[in-house]
Amino acid sequence: MKISPRLRLMTAGAATLAVIGPLAWLWQASLLPSTYSVHDHGHGQGHGSHHDGRDLTSLIADPSREADVELTLTARRERFRLASGRQVDGYTLNGRSPGPQITAEVGQLVQVTLVNASVPDGITLHWHGIDVPAAMDGVAGVTQDAVAPGASFTYRFVADRAGTFWYHSHQMSHEQVIGGLLGAVVVRPERPAKAIDVVALTHLYQGVRTINGSDTDLSVPAPPGATARVRVINTDNGPIPMWVTGTPDTAPRLVAVDGTDLNGPGPVERAAILVTSGARADLEVRMPADGSPVRVQIGGPLSVVLGGGTLPPARRPAATLDLLTYGTPAARPLADARPDRAFRYEIGRRPGFLDGVPGLFWTVNGRLYPDIPVFTVAEGDVVRMTIANTSGEVHPMHLHGHRVLVLSRDGVPATGSPWWTDSLNVEDGESYEVAFRAGNPGVWADHCHNLPHAREGLMVHLMYEGITTPFLVGGPAGNSRE
Amino acid sequence: MKTTYKILAYVIAAEVAIQSMLIALGIAGLGKWVSEGNIFEKSVMEGEGDLPFPEVIGLMLHGVNGHIVIPALALILLIVSFFARIPGGAKFAGLVLALVAAQALLGGFSRGGIPWMGAVHGFNALLLFAAALYTGRRVAKTAPAQAPATAAA
Repeated sequence: MKISPRLRLMTAGAATLAVIGPLAWLWQASLLPSTYSVHDHGHGQGHGSHHDGRDLTSLIADPSREADVELTLTARRERFRLASGRQVDGYTLNGRSPGPQITAEVGQLVQVTLVNASVPDGITLHWHGIDVPAAMDGVAGVTQDAVAPGASFTYRFVADRAGTFWYHSHQMSHEQVIGGLLGAVVVRPERPAKAIDVVALTHLYQGVRTINGSDTDLSVPAPPGATARVRVINTDNGPIPMWVTGTPDTAPRLVAVDGTDLNGPGPVERAAILVTSGARADLEVRMPADGSPVRVQIGGPLSVVLGGGTLPPARRPAATLDLLTYGTPAARPLADARPDRAFRYEIGRRPGFLDGVPGLFWTVNGRLYPDIPVFTVAEGDVVRMTIANTSGEVHPMHLHGHRVLVLSRDGVPATGSPWWTDSLNVEDGESYEVAFRAGNPGVWADHCHNLPHAREGLMVHLMYEGITTPFLVGGPAGNSRE
Repeated sequence: MKTTYKILAYVIAAEVAIQSMLIALGIAGLGKWVSEGNIFEKSVMEGEGDLPFPEVIGLMLHGVNGHIVIPALALILLIVSFFARIPGGAKFAGLVLALVAAQALLGGFSRGGIPWMGAVHGFNALLLFAAALYTGRRVAKTAPAQAPATAAA
């Protein structure tokens, strides 16, 4: 059969279109507008009425109240020296990273003025784990505009719960947090227990693990018989195990998780404790009577060494502590309350385009960003959420502005101490049921704290009916998508 | 068009060879970095671009090549095949594209918790290399088929 060159060309052209067309369509459909509101995306209840609600910027701490703890943090992008002398490129607050530790007593009003001296992309501060008023949450494009070079922003909130927390940038967070724009927050109870108090904020600077900015062991003097509380803060993108070695009868107790004390925590025998990204774990150790040291290993051989003398690092115990059964049960009214809302947050993965870039991306309830759910609640609602992960990778899920109570994992109910968390390690194949009370009106990010994952679309928002945000992703402030 | 087709097929084969070199370079650099006393862990893996050893470039380029460059080349090869008038040209370009797609998915999922796919990823690389090489080489062999087409023109 003879085919005319013209017909041949047309056939070839049609075939080309058949190949390119669907790809071009998928590509084009994935492009995000340069500026948009988080109200415009997602599907769920409560769409469309966001122009006549209460402005999120009015949700602040009592403006007439004087600050009890006040400080200024000045951010720079620069090359700096770790405590050990090693030089790294990143970000500093008041000339160092991690930034200054903020310490407050429960009930005090904390006021932090953030000044951007030289971070070109702009910055914010998010108070990880502290249920601050919505306007103080520090998420660029959602609760404020990124603070441009030369500008400043003042955060005010009441530290209403004693515990271990931290702060970090939430603008370009996948770059700025790993780059060091972060620090520890410790809220002390009114009557602190008599214990040696150690903060161990761990961070990875260009592949090098550190504790409080130093890539050497942190040695803390501790007399025999003393009690020490070690507050471990994981500021990285992956979960970190920690374990304790000492004399044969040294067994630490895990006394708090994510800023909430556990009920009746027993001794942890030969098990590692997993601290996921963004999470905190407070260990309590009683120093051996014979004066020998105790080693709290964080991640690898880097440790907090309590007391004097030498004690070599040990291998990670095979077992990992399961918080589902750890501690003693106590009343959990929230677990028994009838839920007003139930949400599913199913994490998967599939190939596709995200803002024009091809790749394997995370999905929420089967769809790629920005075609993801919005969780809409009314103030006072009891909310249940099922977080299921079939994506092939672990995801440390972090809800802003609230702490959640873990009810069950894979259908097995929690039978230990009430387990409150704000950063939940959801392994591949796991499904958690959690509950929380919607008691903090605002627009709140609910995302994976492996921060590149949030950038790759694992970012959902919890919205309160009648609350709107005037801020935009993109826009003149250059608020990043997160 | 025939020459473009042939060159594209050879470039894809060469890219597969480069990919194997890059990944081996990256892993070797990582091994050296770890033996110098550094620790490789989940957070380190996530911050790949931040790793302070020069061979990390191998890991990064392997990703860029595999996710963007090679799929784009394979797609262009298929489109060129529609115009190149090579008997079976589109069929072989389609095979190359299918192997490339499989390769990218196997690579992605192997890292994302299904390690055995990594083994298949390694073997599929050889299949792709062979397929791309053969796709280029057979252009010369099928050249006589051009004659009737020219006559028809």
